[in-house]
Amino acid sequence: MSEALGRVVATERKPNTPHEFHFWTAIDSPVGIGTIVRVDGAQPMDGQIPHIYGIVVEGFSYTDLQSPMHDVLGHDGLPTMAGYASTERAEIRLYTAAVLRQIPEEPLQPVPMGQVFLAEEADVQVALRMDSYLREGANTGIPVGVYRAGGTDAVIYLDADFLLGPEAAHLNITGVSGLATKTSAVEFLLASLFKHFPRDKGSIAAVCFNVKGPDLCYLDKPGEVEKTDEVLYEKLGVEAKPFEGVEYFAPYTAKGLVLNTFRNNEALLDNVTPLTWGLREVLQFAEVLLNKDDVDAKADALIDFIKENVVDKEFRDPVLTKTHRVQSFADLDAWFRDVLQGMEKKDGESWRTHHVATIRKVRNRLSNISTRCAGLVTDSGAVSDLPFGSFTDRTVYVVDVANLEEDAQDLIFARIVSKLREHLERRDLGVKHLVVFVDELNKYAPGDGADTYVRKMLLDIAERGRYLGLVLFSAQQFRSQVHRRVVGNSGTALFGRMDADELSTPGYAVLSPATRTKLATLEKGQLMIRHPHFTQPIFVRFPRPAVMQGREGAERYPQASEISLEAAILRALRPLDPTITLPWVQEITALYSDEEVIRARNATLLARPDNVKAYFTAQFRKIIPAQAAPRPMAGSIKSAPENDPYGF
Amino acid sequence: MLVSNSGPDAASRAAVRLLMQRLPSLSPVEGGASVEPIAPTDPPILRSAQIVEGSAVRAVKVPGASGATTSGFGAFLDGAQKVQVVAHDRGMPIVIGTVSAAVRVRVDRRMITWGHQPPRVERAIYLPLRYLPTLTAADVSTVAAQSKWRIVDTSTADKNGEYPSQHPAFLLDRAIRAVDQQREELEDRLAEAWCARGEAPLFIDGGISRTTSVASSTCAIGVIKSHRTLYVQGEALGIVMSLGKGERSSVFRVAPRSRSSVLSWYLRLRAPDGHDAMWGLVRVEVAECDRLSERAEEISRWVLAETTPLSLPDGRWDKMAYGVRDCEEFLRAIS
Repeated sequence: MSEALGRVVATERKPNTPHEFHFWTAIDSPVGIGTIVRVDGAQPMDGQIPHIYGIVVEGFSYTDLQSPMHDVLGHDGLPTMAGYASTERAEIRLYTAAVLRQIPEEPLQPVPMGQVFLAEEADVQVALRMDSYLREGANTGIPVGVYRAGGTDAVIYLDADFLLGPEAAHLNITGVSGLATKTSAVEFLLASLFKHFPRDKGSIAAVCFNVKGPDLCYLDKPGEVEKTDEVLYEKLGVEAKPFEGVEYFAPYTAKGLVLNTFRNNEALLDNVTPLTWGLREVLQFAEVLLNKDDVDAKADALIDFIKENVVDKEFRDPVLTKTHRVQSFADLDAWFRDVLQGMEKKDGESWRTHHVATIRKVRNRLSNISTRCAGLVTDSGAVSDLPFGSFTDRTVYVVDVANLEEDAQDLIFARIVSKLREHLERRDLGVKHLVVFVDELNKYAPGDGADTYVRKMLLDIAERGRYLGLVLFSAQQFRSQVHRRVVGNSGTALFGRMDADELSTPGYAVLSPATRTKLATLEKGQLMIRHPHFTQPIFVRFPRPAVMQGREGAERYPQASEISLEAAILRALRPLDPTITLPWVQEITALYSDEEVIRARNATLLARPDNVKAYFTAQFRKIIPAQAAPRPMAGSIKSAPENDPYGF
Repeated sequence: MLVSNSGPDAASRAAVRLLMQRLPSLSPVEGGASVEPIAPTDPPILRSAQIVEGSAVRAVKVPGASGATTSGFGAFLDGAQKVQVVAHDRGMPIVIGTVSAAVRVRVDRRMITWGHQPPRVERAIYLPLRYLPTLTAADVSTVAAQSKWRIVDTSTADKNGEYPSQHPAFLLDRAIRAVDQQREELEDRLAEAWCARGEAPLFIDGGISRTTSVASSTCAIGVIKSHRTLYVQGEALGIVMSLGKGERSSVFRVAPRSRSSVLSWYLRLRAPDGHDAMWGLVRVEVAECDRLSERAEEISRWVLAETTPLSLPDGRWDKMAYGVRDCEEFLRAIS
């Protein structure tokens, strides 16, 4: 057992309580804010020596100096003279610790006098109640970092039952931007989850929304791991290697030629799938894109009518010139045109109770969606989507929406989360547990502002997701500005380095001033953790993720710039068939419009046929090549008789 | 020397209970009133001393004394005492005396307790047995055995065979003197132990002449803060009273009866401007030695170096070294 490093003290003015105690140490003891200590009581209770575990939350230092003036007088007002004093003044290091656990737990009494020891690894497990889920048979510990103090290195585990449900769930992480702490922490935690989540609890996957920068774009590429981090990886039992199963999804740019992602370099396209949706997919979530002011009750009724009666159905009406089957935005626009022309002919003001102005307004708003979400929404109706129903265990699905307009981001988020939820409810997603990672919660679920569809969805996940196995890992810079029900429902909270203004908000009042100061000065790779089993926040270190960092990836794999249509087709199809060449693409596509070529590419990518060339070629309508008309045989012109009177 | 005045602790109360069982008329004193050390009854005096540095007392500027001077003292010794009147039996004072002493060693500019001789704390019950006739010798033995404290009779006859007055104040004075004596014994034992090991120079709060071994040791330096006896007369007195900051007197020999002779000199630690003439004035005692001037200058530099940090808020801070204050605070904590 290690030597005692301190003694519990209590005075009438500063008494110990069941939740807090004070102790002093030698000047050079390795105790600091966040250090976990153990107190061994001096008197046994029911035959058992009480052990009290605490974490240092405040520190004091003072000397026997009664007034600063005495020090000034003692050194003749010259600070430089102070260094010559033969004796240092008697000085104390006095610490306040918050109680983590008392053993025995009953009766709960004020902390007794006793010796204070630095907590060893076994003590840390007991202090944080980790012993309950690290024991044989439970084994639901997920390493999140290493607690370090005075030579003690102890792995801190989160309880999977309280991280992914069903007991509690969700994780929220806060920290200032620019230190890469939030993203790095989530990347490491996902790696740890994939490694340590018990197999008997079912499969697990993650869907990460990359909302800014390239940070999540190289999860399958190895990054640099420093020696110190290697030690941490070994201690934490996680392999320092990139994710093995990663799938990327991104819509096209507005021109539709290249994918709108940092990961559109040709060398990285093998696991990047285009994300394109048609009318049917978008119309389900029209309210995400349509402003409440735009879509009143009348417009809403017409949209419902279209969804119920028009889309994907044979639609006939006396006012129409033909039978319509609406499957794409182009079809829908043709349908609207036909309806309005029919009404004009009849000089009618309403059709099927819908006023012409409402019809024009809805047409305008719906048609506008394909423009606002160009690259994601296709006029043709072609759909390329996440593999709902066939999600695979220990796979990360990254949806890159970083370069998209806000509307498109909202639409993607709303639809994907809804689909995930539907599949999890039906238990046919392909995995039993799914982590959804969303950054920038300040933007998507603000505490104030409009009650958007996305915010409603996040609230719904936060409040009911754990029953489905849908777990939200969220991150933001200012926790105080996120909707309280989202962060409040997060069983686990991580804190990186914090902004001083944020720390001054009421949500952090429960932390001691010293803990807040430590939070404001945390290094990269350090976190403060709150978890349902821990009665006080704990500071840990975690290793830098073993994946390529965003900045390095962006330099090594430069983003593809807009290229010619033929080059884009070549780049898209060559991963499917390496024999495809640019001349072949140029020959096949020469006669067709850009829209037709893009539609053929999308269909080929979606089908992933064995014979790519044949399939791609088959997507084009037959055009008989123009042939030169045969010159009619010129008949010989008879010469007029010389004596012909009618001849000229 | 520290005189503390906190109330009786649990052990003192237990001792009083033991006495109450045997002295039915014993009346405990609420709060266990602490007693200040008795004011010396001897008048302040001037005494002549043999000048051993030159032929007359003169003021000598201590050379090389500056804020950067390094002190050669390696440890400090001081004692403390607490005298409490815990009860009286028909006016006869029952006193509990607690004495303590410690050597605090300086390591890397910080003070720690000397490891070779732990600090000493002793307690005793001071009773005028002659005037407590109901208390038998067996009772005294029983109380001593059960409390594990020494019983000291404050009513024994003096060397002339005369018994003390029954006046309660006189008996209390006797108890206080006995406690004083007990404290000095503790201090002397520690000083002897230190000198026997011959470690670094020891700063003793008070004189060094009580025991021969200490008085003759080169590692014991006594620093006296009180001056009821001044070892200068006439013109020499004026010179000593006029010493400026960082000045010392010539070295003289102090040879009291029944004590060992030592060398001594006065040293002004702080400028006396605006204060009384004794402000910052200490008398230093060292063992007899050759090359007295060099020795006096060296020791004076050390003592001057001990003037920082200030030992405020102690009222004697003008003369008290911080190491001595540290000893007193330490003894206050353990006794």
